Amino acid sequence: MHPTAATRRGTLIPLTYYLVCAAGLYAISAYCLIAKRNMIRLLLALEIMMNATNLLLIAFSSYGAPGLTDPLAHAFTLLSIGIGGCLIAVGLSLILHAYRHYQTLDVRALRRLRH
Amino acid sequence: MFTPLLDTLLFFTMTTPGIGLLAHRLHRKRLTDVYASLGFSLALLLHALTSHNVLAPGVLTIATGVVADFPLGVTLVVDDLSGFMATIYLLIGLLAAIYSLTYMARDTGLPHYYTLLLGITAGMIGVTSAGDLFTLFIFWEVMCLCSYALVAFRTEGWEPIEAGFKYLLMSGAGSLAALAAMALLYGLTGTLNIAQLSQALSDTLGGPWSALALLLFIAGFGLQAGMAPFHTWLPDAHSAAPAPVSAVLSGAMVMTGIYGLFRVLTLIFTPFLGVWPQMIRIFATVTMFTGNLLALFQDDVKRLLAFSTIANIGYILLGLATQSVTGLTGSLFQILNHALVKALLFLCSGSFNRQAKTRSLRDLAGIGRSMPWTCTVFILGTVALAGIPPLNIFWSEWTILVANVEAEQILFAIVMAANLVLSAAYCLRIIQILLLHGETPTSRAATEAPLSLLIPQVVLGALCVIIGVYPDPFRFFAEAAAKATLNIHAYVSAVLG
Repeated sequence: MHPTAATRRGTLIPLTYYLVCAAGLYAISAYCLIAKRNMIRLLLALEIMMNATNLLLIAFSSYGAPGLTDPLAHAFTLLSIGIGGCLIAVGLSLILHAYRHYQTLDVRALRRLRH
Repeated sequence: MFTPLLDTLLFFTMTTPGIGLLAHRLHRKRLTDVYASLGFSLALLLHALTSHNVLAPGVLTIATGVVADFPLGVTLVVDDLSGFMATIYLLIGLLAAIYSLTYMARDTGLPHYYTLLLGITAGMIGVTSAGDLFTLFIFWEVMCLCSYALVAFRTEGWEPIEAGFKYLLMSGAGSLAALAAMALLYGLTGTLNIAQLSQALSDTLGGPWSALALLLFIAGFGLQAGMAPFHTWLPDAHSAAPAPVSAVLSGAMVMTGIYGLFRVLTLIFTPFLGVWPQMIRIFATVTMFTGNLLALFQDDVKRLLAFSTIANIGYILLGLATQSVTGLTGSLFQILNHALVKALLFLCSGSFNRQAKTRSLRDLAGIGRSMPWTCTVFILGTVALAGIPPLNIFWSEWTILVANVEAEQILFAIVMAANLVLSAAYCLRIIQILLLHGETPTSRAATEAPLSLLIPQVVLGALCVIIGVYPDPFRFFAEAAAKATLNIHAYVSAVLG
């Protein structure tokens, strides 16, 4: 998508492949968020979505300028992996409490809130 | 490392657990509570003392981090808009902390609670002072993670857990949508600095990729702001959280989503100026009607207030969509007024819940006789929320209406006026139930809230009256922030030099 990406086409896997792969990961995580009932699987769907974005960032960092990998995106990705870990930790602790209340991981049990 | 204000808040956030441990060893339970309130007071004082430094040069830029070279380092940019938002966050945070002194006294794990409360405020102020999307996202997630934990703080009930989990899933997906938008913008321009992005995109006509980024930003930030159709987490989370947390969520945190839209839409997406205001107007209309219609027949006080928050987000978005100084002044003024009124109402509903053990309006009927002070302040807040003239919200709603008429959006001005009538209807219904209906056994058994709970409520009530009677100084404050938001050239040239 960046004009200089075309100049690297001979030496690297084309950027389009990464974009398609990230789009596939987004599709998988969106499907999981809608269709899955297990709370841990829902949390994993979020994690897959985060990794799709991280993949995008890393791919863009190598295609921005020829022969250079931009460290900004790498720093961002490392921090965003850390944040993903925090998100999972908070989510799992909520799931643990939910399990103590309902004795199940099925998200359909959490239906007491009115819409 | 960051701005002095942010450093202070982060320092108190990180030291509160230590103080909690010390308090436990010394058997002084109140030490943590007082320490946290002290942290908020110091931060507010510091903000009042340093904000004139920002006002003099207009925009203050700080580059920090290991690599201090410009595009790579962390950039913090503080302008009038950041200062305006920070004032609201600190004020609401301080009053919530003072209210928590008594309200949360029976809970366990208070050092965690105050750490999270300071953390969410630090996160919000970090978001408003971020000069690049990288920093913005990190502070955004600090804010979000603290708010998930705060919503589910009382883990012994089922409601906070359910609401917290729902909120985590929705808000997590929303934040990731915003992150994906940031990644796309990075791929297009090779930078994450807001000023550089603004410059890079202003030269283009805006292709499909930047249009996708725009949509993802609106969805991500809009979800956090409670914009319909992404609002479903908001009533659950606001009503399940402890009352001071609801006040912070509704008065301050939701407005961070609005801040994100303000900043990103006006600064970065200039090529789409013909497209996004119309989109935001449609979203605003849906949001207003959703909030007001669902609030109309609600029996749970806190859910009713949460739906009214959604409606107010609609008004604020409508002001943003005009892209004129008047419209943005109205929006920002509405953010301030709504924060004060909604914090007041949530704190009062907390007092009702604590003294009468119910959130149902039907059970609270006639509570004016047993809790006269709380009920008086609550009704003051309700009257303000209805937009009755001598109180604060009237002025900001009027400004938004005038801005829409000036921008020749008569249809949307009419839609907003219709919604104001709807909101007045449920406000009057609350007043009628609380004052005119006969007492129930629950409301007869209730006693007046202690003085420590009344003080923050009375302070907020007094502010509502003061702004209502003397709106001009506060409107000028909002106007300065609105001008800073729209002055793209000043922002970009201050950062890029």
